[in-house]
Amino acid sequence: MLFAWYLSFSATRLDRLHHRVETSWEHLDALLQRRAALALEIAHHNDLDPALDMLLTASAYESREAPMTDRDEAESLLSESLRMIRESVAAGDIQIKVALIDRLGDITEKIRVAISIHREAVTAVENLRSKRIFKVFHLAGRAKLPFRYSFEDDQL
Amino acid sequence: MTFPPSRIGMVCPYGWDTPGGVQIHIKELAEHFIALGHYVSVIAPVSDESTIAEPWLVSAGRPLAVPFNGSVARVAFGPVATSRVRQWIASNEFDLLHLHQPEVPSLSLIACWSAEGPMVGTFHTASSKQRTLVAAGPILEPIIEKLTARIAVSEMARETLREHFETDAVVIPNGLDTSKYSAAQRLDKWSYGPTIGFLGRFEEPRKGLSVLLEALPFLMKKNPKLRLLIAGPGDSEKVLKNVPSALRTRIEFLGRLTEREKADFLKSVTIYVAPNTGGESFGIILTEAMAAGATIVASDIPAFSEVLQSGECGALFASEDPHSLARVIEGLLVDAERREVLSHSGIESADKYDWKNVATQISDVYEIALASGAGVSLASENRPWKRFRTIE
Repeated sequence: MLFAWYLSFSATRLDRLHHRVETSWEHLDALLQRRAALALEIAHHNDLDPALDMLLTASAYESREAPMTDRDEAESLLSESLRMIRESVAAGDIQIKVALIDRLGDITEKIRVAISIHREAVTAVENLRSKRIFKVFHLAGRAKLPFRYSFEDDQL
Repeated sequence: MTFPPSRIGMVCPYGWDTPGGVQIHIKELAEHFIALGHYVSVIAPVSDESTIAEPWLVSAGRPLAVPFNGSVARVAFGPVATSRVRQWIASNEFDLLHLHQPEVPSLSLIACWSAEGPMVGTFHTASSKQRTLVAAGPILEPIIEKLTARIAVSEMARETLREHFETDAVVIPNGLDTSKYSAAQRLDKWSYGPTIGFLGRFEEPRKGLSVLLEALPFLMKKNPKLRLLIAGPGDSEKVLKNVPSALRTRIEFLGRLTEREKADFLKSVTIYVAPNTGGESFGIILTEAMAAGATIVASDIPAFSEVLQSGECGALFASEDPHSLARVIEGLLVDAERREVLSHSGIESADKYDWKNVATQISDVYEIALASGAGVSLASENRPWKRFRTIE
């Protein structure tokens, strides 16, 4: 009886964590989409050199159009190009509308927070699911283990 | 045809100190034109400027590793690279610019955008991801339009160019110093067996070593003395794990070879196998093997079949099919006469890839581009002060 209660309690716990991963990912994804839109705006409004322009445009486009499995590279590329833009603006090498740069700084900060929240949720699920009782009793059902993307390691 | 001594600027999009086909091509091309009495300067991204050995090389700053087109490219872009390219163009008074891979987001594209005057572009790759091109097309098109003449290194590269940019190009293959290969020695340690040779980064799936390994049991059974020699960097343990233990003693790993050793290796092995499954635009390694007089067995991917003239200079097998590969190798192992014929026609047709012929063709293109007489200058529409027009 007690054991049955424990099983049900554990399953609920896991379910709650799974749900948390989903929400944190949705939040992160929405921010990434906003970043892509902002990147396109920056690319259109300033005469950056064509190589940087091309990387920015192509990766922003990819971020918005590609299926998630292909997006990892694009998000990394976007992080990298945008970091170069912010550094160049700080060094006075290029000029970009102050409003755009402010929004970029803002969204980068939000993405940084969103990534750390999402990672924390993923780690919690992984820890819980590695316990034997979850494996033996199939408490996770057919839910897939949450996926870690390599762009989450990028320096923003 | 020749043209009067000129000032030629070449732009390399990829990190100079990482090994690659494009870098080698530019280096040999530059040396060739310097030997002919022209002034040549090359600009490229460089990771460590203290290692530059060539007096004619200019650094555009450190390259960044960027995931692009399914692999990682070491390219340079951004304001620092741009100002170095501009400065290089402004201070050298070039008659002509030769831009390599101007469709890649790196220095060549920046140079093409920054300059005005005679410009030649060489396209090395065969394909680009569709989505990237859809997004980047509107940026690339007006810039690539500025090229006076276009060169594609293979029919496939030309086809891509036609498809994506609706412009045609002259096909001129990558150059090769055939004398290095014809001077190669046949060494007993690599020819005793008979032997099958494989060359390249064998861990990369597209190099196709797994296809060869699958064909191996059949071949080894028929030829009890056959040895497989694998040259190139990589982890041999991982490969051996997938091989039946009885055959492991007959596989040897030679590690990375020097240029000289590579030529000897190609000359020595009984059969050189190139089982690549794709991703090649031009089979530079096949032209080297041909020049060394190797008997070649290669997959029938378009790039290889083009270089081997549909099987005239080497035998082709159905790509990714180990049975077909085993049959073709076995057929050649028992037929010394046919091996001799293939080797001979290989040596003969490798000559057209020799620098003396390739550089002449490139010279012809240069001459046409130079005909306008105007030199290279910075384009007026993107002078730095123009930038301020968008600032609010």
